[in-house]
Amino acid sequence: MVFNSLEFFVFLPIVFIVYWFFLKRTVKGQNLFLLLASYFFYGWWDWRFLSLIFLSTVVDYLIGLKIHANEEKHKRKLWLWCSVVFNVGLLGFFKYFNFFIDSWIDACHLIGYDIKSTWTLRVLLPVGISFYTFQTMSYSFDIYYKRLKPTKDFLGFAAFVSFFPQLVAGPIERASNLLSQILTKRTFNYEQCVAGLKLILWGLFKKVVVADGIAPIVDDIFSNYGNYPASTLVLGVTLFSFQVYGDFSGYSDIAIGTAKLFGIELMSNFKFPNFSRNVAEYWQRWHVSLSTWFRHYVYIPLGGSRVSKVKSVRNICIIFLVSGFWHGANWTFIFWGAFHALAFIPVFLMGRNTIYKNSVVGEHSIFPSLVEIGQVLLTFSIVTFSRIFFRSESITDAFNFIERIVSNFYYAPYYHPLGYRMVDYYILIFIFVIYEYIIRKDERSPFKFKSRVVRFIIYSIVIMAMLLFYDSSIDRSFIYFQF
Amino acid sequence: MKRLFLKCFIYAILIVFALEVYVRAFHLTKDYPSRYIDNYGVEKWVPNQSGFSVTGNRRQNFSEYHINNSGFNSYREYNPTKDKIEVALVGDSFIEGFHQHYYNSIGKKIENRIKDIDIYEFGYAGYDFADQLHLVHSYKKEFDLIDHVIFGLKFENDLTRGEYVVVKDRMRLETPLFKTLREIKILAYAQSIGIIDPVRKAPGKLISFFKGNNKQKTELTEEEQLLKDTENNKTYLKNFKNLIHLYGYDKRRYTLLIDKSKTPKMFLDYLDNNGFRYIDFSKALEASNKPTDLLYDKHWNNNGRSIIARLIADYINKN
Repeated sequence: MVFNSLEFFVFLPIVFIVYWFFLKRTVKGQNLFLLLASYFFYGWWDWRFLSLIFLSTVVDYLIGLKIHANEEKHKRKLWLWCSVVFNVGLLGFFKYFNFFIDSWIDACHLIGYDIKSTWTLRVLLPVGISFYTFQTMSYSFDIYYKRLKPTKDFLGFAAFVSFFPQLVAGPIERASNLLSQILTKRTFNYEQCVAGLKLILWGLFKKVVVADGIAPIVDDIFSNYGNYPASTLVLGVTLFSFQVYGDFSGYSDIAIGTAKLFGIELMSNFKFPNFSRNVAEYWQRWHVSLSTWFRHYVYIPLGGSRVSKVKSVRNICIIFLVSGFWHGANWTFIFWGAFHALAFIPVFLMGRNTIYKNSVVGEHSIFPSLVEIGQVLLTFSIVTFSRIFFRSESITDAFNFIERIVSNFYYAPYYHPLGYRMVDYYILIFIFVIYEYIIRKDERSPFKFKSRVVRFIIYSIVIMAMLLFYDSSIDRSFIYFQF
Repeated sequence: MKRLFLKCFIYAILIVFALEVYVRAFHLTKDYPSRYIDNYGVEKWVPNQSGFSVTGNRRQNFSEYHINNSGFNSYREYNPTKDKIEVALVGDSFIEGFHQHYYNSIGKKIENRIKDIDIYEFGYAGYDFADQLHLVHSYKKEFDLIDHVIFGLKFENDLTRGEYVVVKDRMRLETPLFKTLREIKILAYAQSIGIIDPVRKAPGKLISFFKGNNKQKTELTEEEQLLKDTENNKTYLKNFKNLIHLYGYDKRRYTLLIDKSKTPKMFLDYLDNNGFRYIDFSKALEASNKPTDLLYDKHWNNNGRSIIARLIADYINKN
């Protein structure tokens, strides 16, 4: 079930009403119902893969108890490794098995050996596997590092692993944040629910209008890049930047908003990354739940930045490469990660990786300074360039795309083959960027205006925009589902 | 909790109202002309109405229509005489042309190409060959004065019945309930952009979910499909023969406008062997460098209509 579907808009009110009207008395009742609702939500896509979630839940629940029960470090470590091997094994089998086999065959082919692929599997990638395996691993890590005590409440733990708003595409929660809320009885909070509904509305706008609206144009340009000049290719990758942002941050907003309806606060996942002033700030604002996951569970255990510069650079390279690989079993994502590492390292070496940690562009003024505009444009350009790797089907396509930009460096107006009126999309993106700039200080309050009338007008315009850009003919699933 | 539901309800009402205002203010949805059945049992538009036809979510295609005294979309009135050259175009929505300004119709384009000719357009969305022949038969006196009658015929769609009866489904749209619903512009708009479709499909989806999605549609083999197509084609041909037998067909004056690429050879052979004249537009549309269809539906765009008009004008000039 996807958030932007009719099924979800039938499912959500039913779950909401049952949850608050009939199960508000006990936490057990709330959690049992959340678990059933989550399994139904996931099973709507393919019920067979529920067994994987259940298995992952059982294994990490037991391992958590085992780690905590053992005082000896090597035993604790052994159990932690069990969790890591199990979860990474699941991922490896379902997501990376074919990649390794195919890469091995390609490598052999390069050195003159032709091997026929008999090992390649026809396995469907279970939706959300990269997200929930990382979430359950974080539980084991936190117990290992003694940040958290394991829960004996299996029901609560199962509800934590499968909590439907963030089950299939995050935010990747930490047990310390989400599990503690799951294990406590939730009480209805009007303000929290209203804030949740607003976030759902804003998330839907980003998905339906921004992401789905421009998707056909991006698809056309990337599918036929060989026929277009540089100007069109740059337009395509720029629009893709907005598409992937609208798609994923839209999903996160709906997830956070939906969780609020059930009295649960999820962590922020996007903090207006398009207004970042350098690549380091970008990574503090883009897919925060994943980047902090890697920071806490990979970068810091490797020594982080408290080791020598050389080792720190090595650590940076590792987390960006692993992060790239997390996104998909394709060399394009590894190159994407490597490119970001290369863009991040100079910022790190100059000691500018944390200078924008607690501020936003135009912090003390209405308009950004010229320097800030330049920084934002430069960062956006770097990030957008990297998206060529992210979006291309293969690494060859990515390099051909770049080669085409260089070799056909001229401008020609772009016309979509189906005759889409391009000016509509330019106006849309312009208004979207301006609006995001206005609300840039609080990603959790997209409609924070004092006047009720202004708020109402914006709500109605947002909904009208969804109708204006709704396209029943396109695939409306979320991009990050494939990860 | 009560406060939340109450506020949601009030906001929902206000937002629907606001959307209704936006849709009306920016004229985002089409106007629906009224239809009726005349004394001959012919379904047509109520005479002397005007309005706008809109296609696409963002009014990508916007055009005015005008229903004349005869109940068809045209800038001219139909008064056929013996003295002038008159041509009738009879067909479905492609001839009706709500998706174009009524001064830019196929008929008008033909008139621009040929001097001193009057083109009468008898287009009506959903008209099949039974509707078309029944119309001509019912108004025989007027049509006898017309020099050429050209029927738009889509073989697979327009020959599914062998006798004319009023299509009750279409006339149901004239009931007070449907008329009232059409007045709610946001509803008409939502329907036109396909946002209501998931609601319609929902019961089926729910059933297939609980049944386990196991039932695959049995696909026909190539041979079975061929057999089925042949049977259908035979039925369509039989219907064609029956219709011309019932309502008459003047081979000297009547011509079919067809897409040869979508018409089976069996039917083309029948037409050739029995002296039925036809104009084929498939090659001309295919040869065009520019698109010939609209973006949001498969009706001919301005370029497509110009090509059709040119073909018909050339045909008239030759004959």
